[in-house]
Amino acid sequence: MRLLYLLIPFFSISQDLDFSIKSIDEKLLNDTNAVVRLDEMKINILASDRLAYTICKVVTVLNKKADENSITSVSYDKETKIRDLGVFVYNAEGGEIEKIKKKEFKDYSAADGFSLYTDNRMLYHKYTPITYPYTIAVKYTIETTDTAFFPPWYFIPNYLTSIEKSYLEIRYQDLDLKPDVKEFNLDNLLLEKSDDANSIIYKAKNILPIRFETLGPSFRDIVPRLAFRMKKFNLKGEEAHVEDWRDMGFWMNEALLKNREILEPETIKQVKELVVGVDDNLEKARIVYKYVQENTRYISVQIGIGGWKPISAIEVDKVKYGDCKGLSNYTYALLKAVDVPSYYTIISAGKRKVDLDKDFSRLQGNHAILAIPYKDDYYWIDCTSQIHPFGFLGDFTDDRLALVVTPEGGKLVKTVAYLNEENYQKTSAKYSIEENGSIYGEVKMQTGGIQYDNRFSIETKSKEDITTYYKDYWDNINNLQIENIEFSNDTQEVMFEENISIKATDYASKSGNRMLFEINAFNNNSFVPDRYRNRKMPLEIQRGYLDKDEFKVQLPKDYKLEALPQTIKIENEFGQYSASYEHDASTNIIFYSRELFIKSGRYSKEKYSNYRSFRKSIAKNDNAKVVLIEESK
Amino acid sequence: MIKKSCYVLILLFIYNVNAQDYKFGKVSKEELKEKIYTKDSSASASVLYRDVDVSYRYIQSSGFEVIKEVFERVKIYNKEGFDYATISEKLYQGNGDSESFSSLKAYTYNLEEGEIIKTKLKNSDIFKEELSKYYDEEKFTMPNLKEGSVIEYQYKVTSPFSYSIDEIEMQYDIPIKKQKVKVSIPEYYSFKTNMKGYLSMIPKKTTKSGKINFSTKNRSSGSGLRSGSQTTFSNSSIDYITNIHTYDMQDMPALKDEPYTNNIDNYRASINYEIQFVKFPNNPTKSYATTWESVAKTIYESTNFGNQIGYRKYFKKDLEQLLLDKNTDEEKITAIFSFVQDRMNFNSYIGKYTDEGVKEAYKKQSGSVADINLMLIAMLKEAGLKANPVLVSTRDNGVPLFPTREGYNYVIASVELNGQNILMDACNKYTEPNLLPTSALNWSGRIIKEDGSSESIPIVPEKLSKKETFLNVNLLENGDISGKQRERYMFYNAYLFRNKNNSVSEDDYLDKKENNNGGLEISNYNVKNKKVLGKPIVESFDFELESQADVIGDKIYMSPLLFHAEDENPFKLEKRNYPVDFVFPRSNRYVINITIPEGYKISYIPGTMNIALPDKMGRFTYQLVAKNNQIHVLSDVKINRAIFPATDYFALKEFYKNIVEKQTEQIVLSKIK
Repeated sequence: MRLLYLLIPFFSISQDLDFSIKSIDEKLLNDTNAVVRLDEMKINILASDRLAYTICKVVTVLNKKADENSITSVSYDKETKIRDLGVFVYNAEGGEIEKIKKKEFKDYSAADGFSLYTDNRMLYHKYTPITYPYTIAVKYTIETTDTAFFPPWYFIPNYLTSIEKSYLEIRYQDLDLKPDVKEFNLDNLLLEKSDDANSIIYKAKNILPIRFETLGPSFRDIVPRLAFRMKKFNLKGEEAHVEDWRDMGFWMNEALLKNREILEPETIKQVKELVVGVDDNLEKARIVYKYVQENTRYISVQIGIGGWKPISAIEVDKVKYGDCKGLSNYTYALLKAVDVPSYYTIISAGKRKVDLDKDFSRLQGNHAILAIPYKDDYYWIDCTSQIHPFGFLGDFTDDRLALVVTPEGGKLVKTVAYLNEENYQKTSAKYSIEENGSIYGEVKMQTGGIQYDNRFSIETKSKEDITTYYKDYWDNINNLQIENIEFSNDTQEVMFEENISIKATDYASKSGNRMLFEINAFNNNSFVPDRYRNRKMPLEIQRGYLDKDEFKVQLPKDYKLEALPQTIKIENEFGQYSASYEHDASTNIIFYSRELFIKSGRYSKEKYSNYRSFRKSIAKNDNAKVVLIEESK
Repeated sequence: MIKKSCYVLILLFIYNVNAQDYKFGKVSKEELKEKIYTKDSSASASVLYRDVDVSYRYIQSSGFEVIKEVFERVKIYNKEGFDYATISEKLYQGNGDSESFSSLKAYTYNLEEGEIIKTKLKNSDIFKEELSKYYDEEKFTMPNLKEGSVIEYQYKVTSPFSYSIDEIEMQYDIPIKKQKVKVSIPEYYSFKTNMKGYLSMIPKKTTKSGKINFSTKNRSSGSGLRSGSQTTFSNSSIDYITNIHTYDMQDMPALKDEPYTNNIDNYRASINYEIQFVKFPNNPTKSYATTWESVAKTIYESTNFGNQIGYRKYFKKDLEQLLLDKNTDEEKITAIFSFVQDRMNFNSYIGKYTDEGVKEAYKKQSGSVADINLMLIAMLKEAGLKANPVLVSTRDNGVPLFPTREGYNYVIASVELNGQNILMDACNKYTEPNLLPTSALNWSGRIIKEDGSSESIPIVPEKLSKKETFLNVNLLENGDISGKQRERYMFYNAYLFRNKNNSVSEDDYLDKKENNNGGLEISNYNVKNKKVLGKPIVESFDFELESQADVIGDKIYMSPLLFHAEDENPFKLEKRNYPVDFVFPRSNRYVINITIPEGYKISYIPGTMNIALPDKMGRFTYQLVAKNNQIHVLSDVKINRAIFPATDYFALKEFYKNIVEKQTEQIVLSKIK
């Protein structure tokens, strides 16, 4: 085998391929920064614990914006070897101008920016372009014993990139090793497919670019791609045979979690003391979660199988830190010690909701949380947070399919969702405008749901950060000074209250003997999504919300009201906006009330401009001004 | 007698109350109970005590080595402070030698039910990571950490690089209550101390004597009847003096970043020990860089610097061709600069020494800063011009305060024309002679002459970079506007425009511009001189924009500068400790003509304003004139200096407050009845 490698010439693509820019089909050059000339992956499955794949990717970079293609970075670890790594650069005519060999690559730690330590490494090289266009070809072979993560296949690697030829080939020694394939978004693709006893092949040609559009679905939701899995796989030496999510749960219990929950008798005694006299499981869980939050912190260390296997509860108990897996398992262990069942749960975390693939069990997800079964329902806790209320997930892990690892195997369960009006903010304020244009105000804000999640952590920040936060939050008020701040955090009800008094000079602007000011001082929403001359993606609003505002505005003594904005009410499929104004002449007070309700949902691309107009009207009305005129003395 | 003993007792008593024990492991309950740092309640953690001891040790086989012993006791007040419980130390390696990390001892202390509970850091929780060819990093995070914990750690770094002592930071991002820094250096090494930052640091100087013991092996051959040889061991010793500097400091405030600061590390208190020379007994003096002058000379003499200017052959033919029709020096400079700028592509490697060398870079058409700019210098020289390299420290590298070779990390070219130095950097496609990338604008640089002599030259732009905007606007009755805009970007404004937008497609650029200006709709877009360096960029277009005026009742209110109004004061902090850095002097001038809708009359326009900053540092001129159905608006903001000292902060803040206030003042139109 070895010898054969030596006989293969250093690089062997392209003899019959024309990499000159002239040979690119005109259609592929519109609205694109790069053309992928060839994207090829050949996978060879040698055994359930041996996989080799060869990548050959040739990209013509048309302008600077696609310069990320000039970077080649290939990661590796103890189980993974990189072979035959080489990069070739060609000019516009297709002539070779540079050749980079493996030894010219830099070897870096693949630090992820948040781990204290990781043993992943990468080889890295950056080519400096001298002219555009240029073509860069990268080729390498990866050999690994980890078959748990089968490389996925994306027919489109990026936005604003067109593809000339995409080729995927999987070979296997026998049918036993044949992987399952799951297809996503292949509808509009010109595809050739073959599938037989020894190989699976996908070929696609001339794929036109897609563009990023704001408030659209995520890239992985629209792009044509394939996912694979091997039912028998190997993860850093741990063998598995997994047919479905149920099996996956069994395997995780056996291979990754078993005996990790053992605690010192001393610790068990301690935690039992914590819940003395408490019978209700949920109450017990609350106490234990609070204990974990007060006594541990999140530190990530990723070594070997540690990427999937939690550090033992005993270990976490000693050092009082761990990553998501370690802390979840530790909390599970503590709960077990007080006879409260809970389940280790794998999830894809992030503001974007991403489900684990239904009916396609494979190692997925990037985070671990805990599910506590209680009266036919689940309560969810994220043990990496020291501040989230019990049972409250927030927008990091809400409303998505997660793998709950129960003693009866794995189950896909949707986590808690925070719906439209549950994500509320109620602002009530009293403010006055002085003769010199200054504003003095007292504001009370109450938030719940995802809006709670956006706000409550402000409490833990330093005084300076808090002040800076409010100066940004109310950037419509110049010269803002924060006089007093009080917070109260009701973790039981999950409601956060901010009481703030402010002042600012020159809030109202003067024009001769008139004074103008924006009446919506404290919840001014000027968000208008970008305009597209030709919108292609549907509109997606991931989470809805409801804002209610009531302001009482005392006008200055020597001024009388000249004009008020028009009362307004807009209702449509996206939600509702209303604002009303009432002036009491005897006290010279304006009562302002406003309501903004946005519904979550997915709408056709044609609806996008309607939504934009809706937001424009909101922005315009939130800026509406009151005009005062000086009373002649 | 009785009285006296009373005093003694009282003194003892007081002493005991105030005494903090700064020995490792002697953490007190008081320290654990402490809830906030009283002198700065916003601190999330503080260093209760810090001891840094730098000393030398003689090893017979290899000579002197430097040992840095660190001990820190840190109080964690809240969760925000947990970050300070992760500690890392970088270790350098080079020339086959490397620094080593040892003797780590670390504990976390917590108060549990009135008892102090200690948790030890285990060896298995210490990680060593290979950062690069030159640096490794030792890292650990403390176990059993809680709000209120006190942590202690001590460790030792041993370095074979005896001529170099790392810069010692005296100020952290959190406050330091008390620290003791001791540096002991044998008389053979001569260092100069340099201080940085705004805090005073005066060392106590003492001396101590030391002794080096040698054992020498001698072999003498026998003679006469006794044959064979004999080995004797002789012990000898040398006495020497160690000079000791001790810094005892208390209540070092936290270093806090502020907006519009060049690089906050420039203001961090630290001490730098800079080697002057090494002189061992019976050995000649070995001198190291001691002044900027000699630093420059050392750099110049490196094969990756001075020599690179000497190579000429590789470009000779191309240069001859290039200069065929160039007669004046000015023409030659422009031609050579453009030639290098066009031919060469910057590979993003920053450094004062060449990467692959000028010849290889020339061939590949890509190279590092030094590859490109030293090549430029060589070509200028070959053309008979007086060209020299200028060493610079980039903004990221900080302002070079003490002469070290690391102080400079960048090199640009200078050429003399009519007795003036023109500065050039050919690494960016849009720079010009005397227009350097903003990252290189960092107070001053050092120009090195052919004979190795050098002098400091300022690198702060003085020329005003203007932006002029002309608008012709038609206001409609519903508050929408339409019109034409013409904008001229000059000097640095043009440079920044080109860098930001030249690689972006026009559609993307316009989409962004439209969306950043509240839904501006642009048509007939035209831009001139995008690629013609030296000329202003001129952008013009027609536009429409909704709701630019408030129509309330029978009146229309609008801000005279429309979507160009400065509506937020950039200076929000109440006070400021560090200089304000505008990067370059600038002016923004608007000339706007507004035609009001038919059936309306002008009932109010804001009055004129003319204010200035002290010492002609800036000026704001604002003037509106109404004529028939037209309003002419002029607004001009000039900032005449790149850098303002912190003492001018309040004036600047007021200046901007006035601008915002004035520019947001509304025009009032009313319907003719």
